[in-house]
Amino acid sequence: MTPTTSSSSFPRAAWRGSRRVRTAAVLGGAALVAIAAALALIAIVHVPLGDALAAFADGAWGSPYAIGASINRSLVFALVGSGFVLANRAQLTNVGGEGQIAMGGIVATAVSLYGHVAHLPFGLAFIVPMLAAALAGAAWGALPGWLKVRAGTNEVISTLLLTFIAVWFLYWCVQSEALLRQPMSNAATLPESLEIPDSTKLPLLASAISTGLHIGLPITLVLCVAVALVLTYSRFGMHLRAVGLNALAARRAGMPITSTIVGALALAGALGGLAGALMLQGEQYSLKAGFSSGYGFDGLVVGLLARSSITGVCAAALLFGFMRSGGINMEMVASVPSALVLVAQGIVIVALAGGSLWLEPKGARS
Amino acid sequence: MNAEFAAVFVGSSIRFAAPLMLASTGELISERAGVLNMSVEGMMLSGAFLGAAGAWATGNAALGLAIGMLGVLPIALLQAFLSVTLRANQIVTGIGINILALGATTLAYRELFGERSSAVIPGLARWSPPGLGAIPVIGEPVFHQVWLVYLGVAILLATSLVMRRTALGVALHAVGAAPRSVDQSGLSVTRLRYGAVLFSGVMSGAAGCFISIGDIHTFTEGMTSGAGYLAIAAIIFGNWKIGRTVGACLLFGAASALQFQLPLIGVHVPTALLVMLPYLLALIAVAGLIGRQTAPLALTQPFRR
Amino acid sequence: MDATSASAGAAAAVKADAPMTDGKPRTAVLRMEGIVKRFGAFQALSDVSLELFAGEVHCLLGENGAGKSTLCNVMFGVHQPDAGSMWLDGAPYEPHSPRDALTHGIAMVHQHFSLVEDVSVLDNLLLGQVRGWLDRKREAQRVRALVAELGLALDPDARVAELSVGEKQRVEIVKCLIREPRLLVLDEPTAVLLPAEIDALLDTCARVVARGCAVVLVTHKLAEIRRIANRATVLQSGRVVARSSTPSADVDALVRAMIQRPGNAEQEAVSTTTATATPRSTTRSASPYARPLADEALQIDGLTVRDADGVTRLEDCTLVVNRGEIVGIAGVEGNGQSELGAVLAGMQKASAGRFFVQGADCTQAAPQTLTKAGVGVVPEDRHAVGCVPDMSLTENLFLNRLDDYARHGFMQRRAMRRDARALMQRFDVRAASPDVAFRGLSGGNQQKAVLARELTLDGLAVLIAAQPTRGLDVGAVAAVYDHIRAARDEGVGVLLISSELDELMAVADRVLVMYRGRIMGTCVPDASQLNLQRERIGAWMAGQTA
Repeated sequence: MTPTTSSSSFPRAAWRGSRRVRTAAVLGGAALVAIAAALALIAIVHVPLGDALAAFADGAWGSPYAIGASINRSLVFALVGSGFVLANRAQLTNVGGEGQIAMGGIVATAVSLYGHVAHLPFGLAFIVPMLAAALAGAAWGALPGWLKVRAGTNEVISTLLLTFIAVWFLYWCVQSEALLRQPMSNAATLPESLEIPDSTKLPLLASAISTGLHIGLPITLVLCVAVALVLTYSRFGMHLRAVGLNALAARRAGMPITSTIVGALALAGALGGLAGALMLQGEQYSLKAGFSSGYGFDGLVVGLLARSSITGVCAAALLFGFMRSGGINMEMVASVPSALVLVAQGIVIVALAGGSLWLEPKGARS
Repeated sequence: MNAEFAAVFVGSSIRFAAPLMLASTGELISERAGVLNMSVEGMMLSGAFLGAAGAWATGNAALGLAIGMLGVLPIALLQAFLSVTLRANQIVTGIGINILALGATTLAYRELFGERSSAVIPGLARWSPPGLGAIPVIGEPVFHQVWLVYLGVAILLATSLVMRRTALGVALHAVGAAPRSVDQSGLSVTRLRYGAVLFSGVMSGAAGCFISIGDIHTFTEGMTSGAGYLAIAAIIFGNWKIGRTVGACLLFGAASALQFQLPLIGVHVPTALLVMLPYLLALIAVAGLIGRQTAPLALTQPFRR
Repeated sequence: MDATSASAGAAAAVKADAPMTDGKPRTAVLRMEGIVKRFGAFQALSDVSLELFAGEVHCLLGENGAGKSTLCNVMFGVHQPDAGSMWLDGAPYEPHSPRDALTHGIAMVHQHFSLVEDVSVLDNLLLGQVRGWLDRKREAQRVRALVAELGLALDPDARVAELSVGEKQRVEIVKCLIREPRLLVLDEPTAVLLPAEIDALLDTCARVVARGCAVVLVTHKLAEIRRIANRATVLQSGRVVARSSTPSADVDALVRAMIQRPGNAEQEAVSTTTATATPRSTTRSASPYARPLADEALQIDGLTVRDADGVTRLEDCTLVVNRGEIVGIAGVEGNGQSELGAVLAGMQKASAGRFFVQGADCTQAAPQTLTKAGVGVVPEDRHAVGCVPDMSLTENLFLNRLDDYARHGFMQRRAMRRDARALMQRFDVRAASPDVAFRGLSGGNQQKAVLARELTLDGLAVLIAAQPTRGLDVGAVAAVYDHIRAARDEGVGVLLISSELDELMAVADRVLVMYRGRIMGTCVPDASQLNLQRERIGAWMAGQTA
């Protein structure tokens, strides 16, 4: 085998030399394959491409309200994705976003309806349920963290199991009148809770009433910035990195392993719980079965796509927010099943994960 | 509570445990070989769809089963390629394939059958071992099961035998515990792991077929609803030993069966709680509350020479 | 014998001309010519040529990092050379995997075992050897017969996890011999063996070559090979610098060829590699304190450690390290030194006993408390415990005192970088900048960085250094001992755990010997009695109490 020389062609040299080029290539490739697959599927379901794309565009950004709805959706993804990235810094994979959203939603509903907060001043009426939801999410994340430290339990499995438990718990809550279900007028009513009081609903942004954007937007932006700062500049961020890269050395160096791991997952859970509160108090106003409906897994995908950068999380969250709105409209108007969006997502995840071989920095061997 | 009731309960538990048992037999081999397939859920769902579609298209349930089991192979091949050759994160790729499978089967179902179909899908017949099925009172409910259950038991026994008594079994165990030793002995780590993942795929396909054409004789979108993850949980609960894993599957099956049995004796437990129960049990196992866990040492670690 | 003197400069070695004066020409079992191997930017092998003959033991010598393992991996098909060719019995040989090598009759015992721990020895031996159904009873009988023929003691039904290190190595060797190879490669087999086990191993080699096999024995210890080597080749920095067909006669010349530069460092390296007596007085610097300070820096009392399976790894260890002295702990690796180091570093809990640092009971202390109490630790596995390889040099230098640079929870990176540069200067840690990844530094610089971190701890009273020179070249070894001696001179009590007996004898004020978790005896190194002392220590290392 002859030694490699620098006389290889420019694209090959660029591929080998720059991680940015490789990342762009793999991301771009994944996106292209997903889009191609989506277009092909639209054709397969015999929907005229123009109709489908028009419906998609309309739903995604066709009106101020549509844009607002898309952005509101992306807030949920951004929060869950940020939580994922934060936990991932310590090599912890939080797959429980869906369950943390559910727990947040349950607690936010309970506090809004029965926590006597409706009359609180200064916006506490909607802040307290949000805080409660974040706490619930934090607990739902801290448990797997604690299990990991005490028993070495793989947090992927435990967060996943807790997701199922939470989703079915939510179902039980809305099914049972003793819990959160609204009193039934007749047997045909779908299980859901009462509508939350107006004062607990998130206020809309005064400057953009027509878009339907609510106060969740500035809150989410602030939190994303905060997470980014913590990861890059804080001591906790260094602890996360050290524990993730070499837990033994971190322990020898005196870093608090337990609180780092539990804290990371608790924070991720808190962000997920808050996302649930945003969904409830910002959009749905009552708890229904199927509340989280895949938002948590989408948030997970956003976190994976972002490759450890919060800016990436925000970009991916926006993308997914618009995609979801577009997908919903595409189904309603053009009869293209929204399962198409799932297919596109699946392809992107698989392509990215498969391409990770080329995305890792050279020399970083496990 | 009488013998008949108990028999119905046992039979029902077996019915619910069957797909878990089929899937975990295959996945156990894959995990013993060092590859964790989170995509069992997606492969089961795909198998369920392909089995239903195949049975409907050919009019023959057994053919549908064959199509379901073999049709999953490309997906298993993809998972093996990602995990073994590309050395990708096994958990992320598994979840990705699950999402992909959910979307693809939903689309395909709507395309083939329309939104709410009343198509007649032939189902697998039931069978009971001669003699056992004739036992008064308990024979029929306990032993009269879809014949796939007995096939599954046979495959399970064969698998156990292979793992214990053949060179292949020794090699599979070694490739999950110390893959370097396998590489240095001249065997191919890649081939062994690919084979294990493909076996897991076929068995997951069979499990999915049980749910669609074995049990309900229809296909609904997302019908596996977490059973694949339960199979993985059963393996963890069983500490990666075949016998204990089957026990775990039966336990989880019993928890599901309670959903339908308890109301009959007047105990009203919310359905959701009973559905939640297997996951709760799995969580307890995973938390190490029932003994130390000894996973295969090289599980989820790609092999690089 | 032909040797080239590796005079000034690192890689100035000239390729040796190496006629084999044997009488009549023979076809080599394996001939390698012009082998080149690169790993990224690192040149592991440059133009290496070698000939191996049947019925001979060929020793491959060189310091750590000289390229010996890489060369063996090329022979065994684990790596493919970037240039050069190989011939097996005259026919071209290009293995692309260990499987290729095995089919051609080449087998290798690696330094790090790859055994399946939770099954029997038999199952490990059968891997890749049988097909179809297993008749374990019959296979066990065959194994017993083979093992008896080779003069080894091995029970096919024993569970691998319960075997000692020497026994596990025996399993690896039998794994190879079962295939009746034409060439057997042993990569640093004696590193983990007791003197008696080493004898048994060399005996096995003799029997194997008597059957017509060729054996390559990789080592960096000359003492052992005197008995058995028919030929020797010395590698240094990836090049062949010397060859010999009468190695026992040419030992001194071979040693000179192995090391880089003359000077003090050479003396210590010489004593390391030849295991011969070296006048110690010229190189050993006595402690400036007339006698060690009365304060006890470290006091260990009855420390016992039992591992997860209940096996006692450290038994009733009692010793004292005074301020301003270096106490050495000698012994083959695996005799409890790792456990002792781990407990003192706060990484493992003792099952019984206590230890005190400057009078304070630190037995249950967490690593952070120990650091505050004045314990600095240079761990034996630098990459696993001593550093986070993917973090920067700066971050690693202050890994255990991040709090010093944290204000309101945020890190003062500029101050860290400034202080890092100062440390780099003081301890001669060479790197492009303080922000490079720690992983990119050479082994020697990494160890210097770890030392820098530990030796500059506030209120340092005790330094635990475990295998501090493992994997380092001669220059780095000298630097490490310079720093350790400097710490001692400033009143730090040093506990130096090392399997390199000669380094200990040259540096320590007192040497204790460990065997199977117990301290067998103490000895104060004395130049005039070196040989006698080494014999006594050797006996202790082998477990003889007399």
